[in-house]
Amino acid sequence: MIDLAYVLGTAAFFALMLAYVRACDSLGRAGTTAGAAAATSEHVP
Amino acid sequence: MTANGWLQILVFSACVLAVAKPLGVYLVRVYDGSLGGLRAVERPIYRLCGVDPAEDQHWTRYATSMLLFSGVSMLLTYLVLRVQHHLPLNPGHLAAVPARQAFETAASFTTNTDWQSYAGESTMSYLAQATQLAFHNFASAAVGMAVAMGLVRGLTHRSHGRIGNFWVDLVRGTLYVLLPLSLVLALFLVQQGAIQNLAPDVHVTTLEGASQTLAMGPVASQEAIKQIGTNGGGFFNANAAHPFENPTPWTNFWSMLAIFLIPSAMVYALGRMVGDTRHGWSVWAAMFALFLAGASTVYWAEARGNPIHAARGVDVATTDTSPGGNMEGKEVRFGVAASALYAVVTTDASCGAVNAMHDSFTALGGLVPMLNIQLGEVVFGGVGAGLYGMLVFVVLTVFIAGLMVGRTPEYLGKKIRAREVQMAMLYVLAAAASILVFSAVSVLVRPGLAGLNNAGPHGLSEILYAFSSTTGNNGSAFAGLTGSTYYYNTTLGASMLVGRFALMVPLLALAGCLAEQRAVPESAGTFPVSGPLFTGLLVGVVLIVGALTFFPALALGPVVEHFLTGAGALF
Repeated sequence: MIDLAYVLGTAAFFALMLAYVRACDSLGRAGTTAGAAAATSEHVP
Repeated sequence: MTANGWLQILVFSACVLAVAKPLGVYLVRVYDGSLGGLRAVERPIYRLCGVDPAEDQHWTRYATSMLLFSGVSMLLTYLVLRVQHHLPLNPGHLAAVPARQAFETAASFTTNTDWQSYAGESTMSYLAQATQLAFHNFASAAVGMAVAMGLVRGLTHRSHGRIGNFWVDLVRGTLYVLLPLSLVLALFLVQQGAIQNLAPDVHVTTLEGASQTLAMGPVASQEAIKQIGTNGGGFFNANAAHPFENPTPWTNFWSMLAIFLIPSAMVYALGRMVGDTRHGWSVWAAMFALFLAGASTVYWAEARGNPIHAARGVDVATTDTSPGGNMEGKEVRFGVAASALYAVVTTDASCGAVNAMHDSFTALGGLVPMLNIQLGEVVFGGVGAGLYGMLVFVVLTVFIAGLMVGRTPEYLGKKIRAREVQMAMLYVLAAAASILVFSAVSVLVRPGLAGLNNAGPHGLSEILYAFSSTTGNNGSAFAGLTGSTYYYNTTLGASMLVGRFALMVPLLALAGCLAEQRAVPESAGTFPVSGPLFTGLLVGVVLIVGALTFFPALALGPVVEHFLTGAGALF
């Protein structure tokens, strides 16, 4: 039983990290869009 | 302090400097693919694993490959440790490793931490040591180097987020760097007297007539990659204080040099790969300044000794017949200087091998190794991990410098925008949160306090050091903390996983962000990333971030202990 807990816990952690990869990728893309918008509006008088 | 002691530190420093360029040039050739002497070995490995070595991976695919490789190999190690009593190469008929220890050990070796809550010689079969722990010693080090190279490629490439091929980096780092260096060091260690065999334990009668069991095993090979790969997990419980692991002053010196060998060279390789060797040397100089400050402080604190001993008339002066200073927990073969230097080197890097007990150092002597780890082990650091950790600080330095002059910060032609800083901050915050939250919880709950063997500020230092060491993937122990319990095996194992992978993911995201950009030409407003100004600013940022984050906790631990020791209190 305790073996199952450790194995599932480990698998869950790595699954979480894979989700973290996707989250960072989304954050990066969102940052690009926001950055591009800011760059466009920055020089508007 | 003695002239001999300072000479050891200076000669060591000179050797670290001397190897940086030749090995750095070699590393560049390994990772740019121009070195091909072992292609006949590489190709079958790629074919067997179904890897296309020509594929240039997007950072998300690179990170996914790294996570899957680490996760699967960790679970395999867990399985082998749990069934080692049914497997061959177990002449001592050792039982299965308990589940909690198997989890912690699998996490420990997968993450390059090598924290050990067991005595290796009486817990692990030769098969477990040689196929699992030694495998991770190579693989985890190669993963660290691969991730660092991914980040450097992010700086040099304009490739829509593509940063190389994880599998190729993993294989080439192992084949061309770690295996040959380990082979040479293992042969040297055997020549010096380290043991290397598969024999069962030897039972002997001592001169006093008592019986003693001498553990045997493949020690030299394990020892070599333990140092070269900044792993740190010893074959024996006493680690590098054991004469079978570290038999002579020469092996002690070369062991320390082996720890800094690749990390020092990788910084030079950074300069070569980005086409600005002055930048590489500037980062190297920042690391060296921090190393020298740490080594000097620990040597001074340990040579000064315990003030309570001096107050009670114990002779702590260095004479021809006495090493002087604080010799508690130190090997008489190595003395104060070599023990202080070893402690600083092993915690500057994420190695964790020890030739003295850090718990027995003076309060300030113990503070420095702990702070080294908390700063992110960016002083040369672990293989790969030191370079990428320092590059995060470089990004923050450039960002802060940009804020000061009011321009969009640039680093080697790549703009440091909001998302690059977000990834850098996720990296810094994840490490700090793991250390401080796990430590805070442990001083509040009964199972956490039950592991303590010392009261007061020293007890806090033991817990703080443990979670700093595991989150920083260092692996050295302050000792004095009973870590072999369900609570500590599980929480320490979890902090290792967080400290490794929750940092690597935003780091690779940072690499991807940088790789998506086209480099802009340098202008008059670009902050120079070479020279003394940059080096000084980088050192300042490392210290300020570390001080702001950890000073409150350190003040309650080693700093308070230092002042109370001066007032005559012991813990």
